[in-house]
Amino acid sequence: MNAIAAPRSAPRARIGAVLLLAVPCLGLLLLFLHPLFTVASRSLTDASGAFTLANYARLLDDPGLPRAALHSVTTGLVTTLATVLLGLALAMALHRSRLPGKALIRATLLLPMLAPSLVLGLGLVLLLGRNGLVHRLTGWPTDIYGFTGLVIANTLYGLPQVVLIVSAALARTPARHYDAAASMGATAWRQFLDVTLPRLRFALLAAAFLVFTETLTDFGSAVIVGGNYRVLAMEIYSEVVGQLDFAMGATLGMLLLLPAVLSVWLGRLARRRQDSGDASPGRALVPSRDTRRDLVLGAVALVALLPMLAVVGTVAYVSFVKLWPYQPSLTLANYTGLTEGFGPVWTSLTVSLVAAIAGTVLVFALCAGLRKAPPGLVRPLQFVASLPAAVPGMVIGLGYVLAFNHGPAAHWFHGSLLVIAACSLYHYHAQAFLTMQTGMRQVPDALDDAVAAFGGGTRAVLRDAVLPFAAPAAIATFFYLFMRSMVTLSGVIFLVTADLGLASVTVMRLDENGFLAQAAAYAMCVVLAGAIALGAMRLLLHILKERRHVA
Amino acid sequence: MHLRIDGISKAWGTSTALDRVSFNAGASDFVCLLGPSGCGKTTLLRIVAGLTEPDAGSVHLGGRDITRLPARERGMGIVFQSYSLFPDLTAAANVGYPMRLRGVAVGTIATRSTELLAKVGLGGFGGRFPDELSGGQQQRVALARALAAEPALLLLDEPLSALDPAIRAQLRGEIRTLQRSLGIPTIMVTHDQDEALALADTIVCMRAGHIEQIGSPRDLYERPASRFVADFIGRANLLPTHFVREVMPGFLERRPPGADATWELCLRPEDIVVEAGPGGDAVVADVTFLGNLARARIDWRGQVLLAELPGRSMLAPGEPVAIGATRGAWVAA
Repeated sequence: MNAIAAPRSAPRARIGAVLLLAVPCLGLLLLFLHPLFTVASRSLTDASGAFTLANYARLLDDPGLPRAALHSVTTGLVTTLATVLLGLALAMALHRSRLPGKALIRATLLLPMLAPSLVLGLGLVLLLGRNGLVHRLTGWPTDIYGFTGLVIANTLYGLPQVVLIVSAALARTPARHYDAAASMGATAWRQFLDVTLPRLRFALLAAAFLVFTETLTDFGSAVIVGGNYRVLAMEIYSEVVGQLDFAMGATLGMLLLLPAVLSVWLGRLARRRQDSGDASPGRALVPSRDTRRDLVLGAVALVALLPMLAVVGTVAYVSFVKLWPYQPSLTLANYTGLTEGFGPVWTSLTVSLVAAIAGTVLVFALCAGLRKAPPGLVRPLQFVASLPAAVPGMVIGLGYVLAFNHGPAAHWFHGSLLVIAACSLYHYHAQAFLTMQTGMRQVPDALDDAVAAFGGGTRAVLRDAVLPFAAPAAIATFFYLFMRSMVTLSGVIFLVTADLGLASVTVMRLDENGFLAQAAAYAMCVVLAGAIALGAMRLLLHILKERRHVA
Repeated sequence: MHLRIDGISKAWGTSTALDRVSFNAGASDFVCLLGPSGCGKTTLLRIVAGLTEPDAGSVHLGGRDITRLPARERGMGIVFQSYSLFPDLTAAANVGYPMRLRGVAVGTIATRSTELLAKVGLGGFGGRFPDELSGGQQQRVALARALAAEPALLLLDEPLSALDPAIRAQLRGEIRTLQRSLGIPTIMVTHDQDEALALADTIVCMRAGHIEQIGSPRDLYERPASRFVADFIGRANLLPTHFVREVMPGFLERRPPGADATWELCLRPEDIVVEAGPGGDAVVADVTFLGNLARARIDWRGQVLLAELPGRSMLAPGEPVAIGATRGAWVAA
């Protein structure tokens, strides 16, 4: 056979490999690090651009600011404690009990992923606010605004993530450890203390740091149920939007960044030390019969999940009410007669689609580029790519305003869909990167080498070796970015303009102006879009698994 | 084609993987790179394949310097230990892959793939996906795919290590037959001495980044150049010079010159002659019955020897025996 064609030249392949890494790095540099440094430098300079610490000194002048910081930390700590305890119980109910209806628990836990903290906050207000459903039905004087409301909304939001992390750790504990403990006479409670808990230590720590960071930087529920209990996120919002004091906003942003960075860093440390479990999982674990344990776990599950159903259910119900809370008759008018039309929903969809497509491509390129990058480059790039996890959405958003609303491209950038999409993308870059990297680790090195040995260049390696294994991760990344971009409020709040509304921002505005039923209708549109996206993702992953023979 | 490896060195950070390694392989030789894990054999294979760049030295194939040539321009076929088939392609598409990369016509690819699959005993399996094939069948597909590249050199990186012992032995035989009939020069990496002995024309025995000995399987077994080779290939009784001088001085004549401490006598267990009788100055420590043969540990003046006897021999622990040896080789300690 004389089929051996002239092979393509080597240098071209090298250029491809370099581009693979260069483009996403440029994105990170321009659209993430640059805005971030702009916020930092703004907090450290005065009006003329000279270095000063005056902004930080001003923090103490206003007694409201230290108080807001205290409020943020208190809310964060209490929420973290509540979420981790409930999340542990729920994970135990799912993996170490004989409770019926586990599918129901899992389904309910999906709700907070579809309904952002903004929607959860709205639901809480509709249910337990001064004029809420409970007050209407019973006449009890309910008032959810403030600390309690914040803790509940953030707890509901954080629960699914904690359950996910703890469940993963539980699944890694092999059954034979329990067999060994039982054969030595350990009671169920002792087994929990001696076998289960030690293996969960780092998972619980990682979960705790995650919830703390999210609560601290949450804006959605703060703006809806915070009321007079002011937290840092609200203060930043007031400084920037209310008083147009960007320097103070930047300074507060840095203040918020500090504990978030610390928390994410500690969470990483905890995760790195996590027990990777046994290589051979062995026999599947079947929980023993234990009625008392199941009753207790079932009760906790009810306590945790009923409010979730009630809150989202209330939003759904109110979205059909004619004039909440005065005219309880049901109507579709809130959907058909939206004051702002469906425009903002379409805008949100467009933005989310752009963020998801661009994000998936960029993160795929970055991860693929990192596989063959020099070792000295890998660590720093991984750090930068994961850094967004520690940066509150408001800080990124503020950075975008400060970095791009002046200067050469300002006219083009101002109120552009692409800017909002970029902001959402880099806000959620860390998790997307993590998902994709985990997916790419599935690619066997041998496959890579095989392609190269048989004459394939960078493109062939990506197409034939990497893509089949990374496709599920790419799909998950795409829908993760899409769903998050649909619901985010904190990142985009400073970027929307009068002509450019987003669904999540519209929910907030309608709520502020007292159009609660319409706010609920808008919120349901967002939830629905998320639900459809989630369904589509599961379907796609299922089809992929059937068709491509890749686990 | 003739392969010449010349002074290849490679370091990973501060640890040396290969230290000035050189050897030659003839036009249709089957060469085994044999050694314990971490000896550098896989690194050497990857350097030949062009998947790893050497720090120093050169690789020549058919007189052409290919040291700096990227893997995809070398035209080699390679089979890895496992997980090297494309999971989303059928067996036939996997085999056709190297041809597809080279832009061969679709019709030709189909015919060739069917041919090659039949050659490795998988006719009719072309439509299966890798997860529908057994481990042995997957390696056959990988082998067919490597041959599809019309390779100048066939590289096998522990292709049998992940398989069950029975299948391993069977596939080993088939690889040998196939290689003989095609006459493609082949380099195989293995840590399994049985595999190397059964397959290779030439064994390159490696240790800690350098070559201990190159030779035919028989050479390496009967005339090991070092204590390491004697120990690594087959079983060996290694006796210090002073002990040999005491108990079987006849062997001393053939000992190369040098200090006592630099040489040891290697006695293979099957070369030790054991005679039961009250006059013997050795004592049977224990006997392991293995069916066709029995392995006895014998205490001979403070030195424990391993001897292999026919399975029928009736030695009992504690029995006095006399020891002799039919042949032995001196190895560098």
